Amino acid sequence: MSGVCTKLLFMEQIQGMKAVGHLDADCFYVSAERVRDSFLLGKPVGVLGNQGACVIAKSYEMKAAGVSTGMPIWDALVKCPEGVYIKRDFRWYEVLSRLMLEVAREVSPRVEYYSIDEFFFTVAEPRGGSFQVLAESIRDRIWERVRVPVTVGIARTRTLAKLISDAAKPFGALAVVDRGAEERLLSGRPVTEITGIAGRRAARLEPWGITTCLDLARADRRLVRSLLTASGEALWWELNGDPVRAIEPRRPAHKALSRGGSFGESTSDPAVLHAWLVRNLERLIEELEYHGVAAGRLTVAIPYKSGQTGVGQVHLAVPSDRFDLLLDAARSALRKAWIPRATATHMHVIAEQLTHRVDCPGDLFEPPARAAQAQAVARLKRAVNARHGRFALRSAATQALGPIYRDAANAYDICDVRGKSCF
Amino acid sequence: MCLGIALAASEIPNDLIDRHALRRRIHERGGEPEFRFLYRDRHPRLPVWRDGRLQIVRWGNGQKKSRFLPDTGWTWQATIDQGYWKNLNPAPVDIPASLGLERGVWYRIRQGVRGLLVPDERGVAVVYMICEPSSHYYQIMTRSNRMPTLIEERI
Repeated sequence: MSGVCTKLLFMEQIQGMKAVGHLDADCFYVSAERVRDSFLLGKPVGVLGNQGACVIAKSYEMKAAGVSTGMPIWDALVKCPEGVYIKRDFRWYEVLSRLMLEVAREVSPRVEYYSIDEFFFTVAEPRGGSFQVLAESIRDRIWERVRVPVTVGIARTRTLAKLISDAAKPFGALAVVDRGAEERLLSGRPVTEITGIAGRRAARLEPWGITTCLDLARADRRLVRSLLTASGEALWWELNGDPVRAIEPRRPAHKALSRGGSFGESTSDPAVLHAWLVRNLERLIEELEYHGVAAGRLTVAIPYKSGQTGVGQVHLAVPSDRFDLLLDAARSALRKAWIPRATATHMHVIAEQLTHRVDCPGDLFEPPARAAQAQAVARLKRAVNARHGRFALRSAATQALGPIYRDAANAYDICDVRGKSCF
Repeated sequence: MCLGIALAASEIPNDLIDRHALRRRIHERGGEPEFRFLYRDRHPRLPVWRDGRLQIVRWGNGQKKSRFLPDTGWTWQATIDQGYWKNLNPAPVDIPASLGLERGVWYRIRQGVRGLLVPDERGVAVVYMICEPSSHYYQIMTRSNRMPTLIEERI
């Protein structure tokens, strides 16, 4: 028995210590634009989303002027009149993202594609080297190969690795694997810098004198659990160097799928709302088909300018991914979510209670000919769009959104970048 | 409509800078010098590529220096297509630009903007910027219902 233990210990020494890396691209959308357009280097740059209404990413120069992500362009202009504004291009950002992912996979057998510009991965301490050298080499390899500046953090857990890379930005590389250095880092950072702790949770911790990351790490575990539930306790373990949140090389199955977002131009016109409903539903069905699942429940949520949010929910008789059945359900949900004459700004169509399509029972009360016809139409739509481009064949109900379809940038969104574990 | 453009300083040769006293139009953005050509300038000018040469010419007729040219700096593509300019011997030209300006928004232009060059009654070249109805994106970004016709680019 002791021989086995000795062997395991020896193996561990040979392989080196294991740790978690976090790679985060610095102002990724702007950096991606700079890869193909050197004119933008050094200038305050804002990438616009929501059809030109909001800044979805900004360079450090623009950030220094006070512009924040999500800020409407009219506010950004006041803060940074010299800013240069460009249109988003998620196809290009995905190309660079996958190139960065390739590099990460060269250095680690286990990489989680967390978001378009963030990956987690496991690393072993290189023989004769150090985690610090490894972090620097990953950063430099991505810069040499992709020309996107990234920051790499290496630590004992993913929560610590993310905190470390946040602290080392921009174009940084930092490995912190001993407790003393961890505590120095945690002591100066507010608890809200931990992913998963925002305003409401921070307010729950504050009366107990927990305001910094180190306060949380040193707090009583049972108190943290009582205040922040099991997910908060997981953070506590992670802050203390015990990895409890796994690196997921494959995205876990979706519990829900959704499509939607901002209208760009707010509207109270029922015809336009209906057109957005159909557009979002067609995009949602593409996703259901891709994942091979059917929706048992459909929810339509509409945030209004007044601050209200209308929500409509419909249960389907049998789970489905068929356009005609889901459209009936979506219309009914829209009627519940609609507030007459109120100006809507966003819409989200959410499919829940997902079932694998092969496990779905057929509707016993539907004439077989009707189902066959709907499936034939869906096949035709897929075939036409595969040959002539996405949305080339779409419902006529989307006619009110002509300008949206004419703009190629709206044909590919961040949610269309597949395989990410986060949005 | 586009109220001005900026062009990277490296794009304009020194002899043109001296001949047209362009140094007062130099501004810096992110440490890089650029020339700004604004319609509201006391001498509105635009750079144009004509016969393979870069030239600096008068932008429109907002200051009414000509008695018969339109008192504006822009023209619709549709107006050109309908032949309204044909008696003035118009020549299509390219206006090189790195950035466009509209209602305070500086937006990136990859190549430039289409223009129409016509002589006034004294034979002086005057350029009009060609515009078209705004795309949805441009309209939301700038709140303007017309946009410049960009060269091999659609935003």
